Amino acid sequence: MSLLQVEGVSCRFGGLQALAGVSLEVREGEIFGLIGPNGAGKTTLFNVISGLTRPSGGRCLWRGRPMQGMGPAAINRLGIARTFQNLRLFESLTALENVLVGLHHAAGAPLPGALLGSGSFRRRQGRLKEQALELLERLELAPLADQRAGELAYGDRRRLEIARALATAPQLLLLDEPAAGMNPAEKEELRLLIGRIRDHFALSVLIIEHHVPLMMQLCGRLAVLNFGERIALGSPAEVRRDPRVIEAYLGGQP
Amino acid sequence: MDAGLLEQMLLGALLALSVYLPLRCGQLSLATPGFYAVGGYVAALLSTGVPAFAGTGATSPLPALLVEMVLAGALAGLIALAIGGPVLRLRGIYLAIATIALVEILRVINLNLPFTGGAMGIFGIPQPFAQPEGYVAFTLALLALACWLCQRLEALRLGRAMAAIRDDELAAACVGIDTPHTKLIAFVASALLAGVTGAVAAHFFNSWNARAGSFDASITTLAFVVFGGSRLWPGPVLGGLLLTALPELLRPVGDLRLILFGAVILLGPLFFPQGLVTAERLQRLQTLAALLPRRRGAPLAP
Repeated sequence: MSLLQVEGVSCRFGGLQALAGVSLEVREGEIFGLIGPNGAGKTTLFNVISGLTRPSGGRCLWRGRPMQGMGPAAINRLGIARTFQNLRLFESLTALENVLVGLHHAAGAPLPGALLGSGSFRRRQGRLKEQALELLERLELAPLADQRAGELAYGDRRRLEIARALATAPQLLLLDEPAAGMNPAEKEELRLLIGRIRDHFALSVLIIEHHVPLMMQLCGRLAVLNFGERIALGSPAEVRRDPRVIEAYLGGQP
Repeated sequence: MDAGLLEQMLLGALLALSVYLPLRCGQLSLATPGFYAVGGYVAALLSTGVPAFAGTGATSPLPALLVEMVLAGALAGLIALAIGGPVLRLRGIYLAIATIALVEILRVINLNLPFTGGAMGIFGIPQPFAQPEGYVAFTLALLALACWLCQRLEALRLGRAMAAIRDDELAAACVGIDTPHTKLIAFVASALLAGVTGAVAAHFFNSWNARAGSFDASITTLAFVVFGGSRLWPGPVLGGLLLTALPELLRPVGDLRLILFGAVILLGPLFFPQGLVTAERLQRLQTLAALLPRRRGAPLAP
């Protein structure tokens, strides 16, 4: 069954056609890759899906229901969480607090008890903290729980952003270049991690990444964007053979 | 120290907390003096116009003051609620300018309403406390309550959401936080606190006019927070106390005092760009405090 459908989404910024009638569909449980040269419109598509950018045409559907007019917070509540290409952590908060912010909607408590720090409120806070620590543990960040996000090493920050996104209990995780700036060994670790996350949380992943070999191994299906258009869609093997993809990446015949 | 000055310092600290609340979620609002003025007018009008609030003899009844504070807070909060929606769509310096405009609009309304006494304002506001010390004790309790609420905020998800918005509003929205709602809560809480403070201040100053909520006051209350530090609630409290006291303490130096006051405001951010109170300094203070009793208690082994 399809979780997310993108139907003919177009996006125009002034004279720039960032997306031109892009359609794709993410099915339940799959890891779907989005590749394409720089400026192809991949992040714009993420921004449209997560409600940060309004498309100038087309629409997105979540489990068959249109998501039109929904803001980023409402879309997150539907079950879509994302990370950012250029990392947007809550820098002055600790790693643990970053994940706790992600648990916002699990953290509701009656106000009087919360203000007075009643027993039930403290127990609830304890459970939340355990939950957050478990997420940090899963992303190998547990020893850094009390460090400020702004002081973490680059790779740790990337994983912390994933932990924060997972805290919102998504059914679809959007990863925007999670392997950027990582060395080959770290990339391989990340590939395994994404697979483990998918299995453990039973979610679907839509991932943007430039590293094509990693994507070929990781993704069940791939879409290729070039100049805002979807030029290919299919299994890694199909996409690799597609002449338009080869042309986009290697340049056409003179 | 003179109880009258102490009372003004406490009121300054309360206003500084009112500026701090929206700043805690990254919203630079300078509307505090506007709401402060509105709160003061509510108390002034009720206690001079309504016999039940005015009381008999020299002092007005204390329950009347409490009711006035509730009404003053409610009116200021309602105004904030009504205008918060559109105003909080603005960011950064644009929000600051819009809130300055709000303070001016409230000032002109207060000046021109038929029942607020025009430029002269309202005189002879009855006193719930015979001595300034009474005000000090009462305001100290109010400040303690406000500080306690700010401290509890750290443990609440609302406090975390506010901090998240301050750090990165867009990312906060993407983890499902209703950012307009959270910012509105902070703005309304700020207005409420300023309104309540105004109600106490109107009684204390005995008279109230539109100058209570002016552009100058906006800048002064902002200076409290910049000087004291905007990250943790002890910062604005300290800033409010110190900067309210300073012009009075400098009175002996005569005309130089305003120049010195200006120099302090200028040098403060130069030497303490994050304000006087920062998390690191607070932590150092805590470790010091933890060391002290140990040294006094068990004698050190030779």
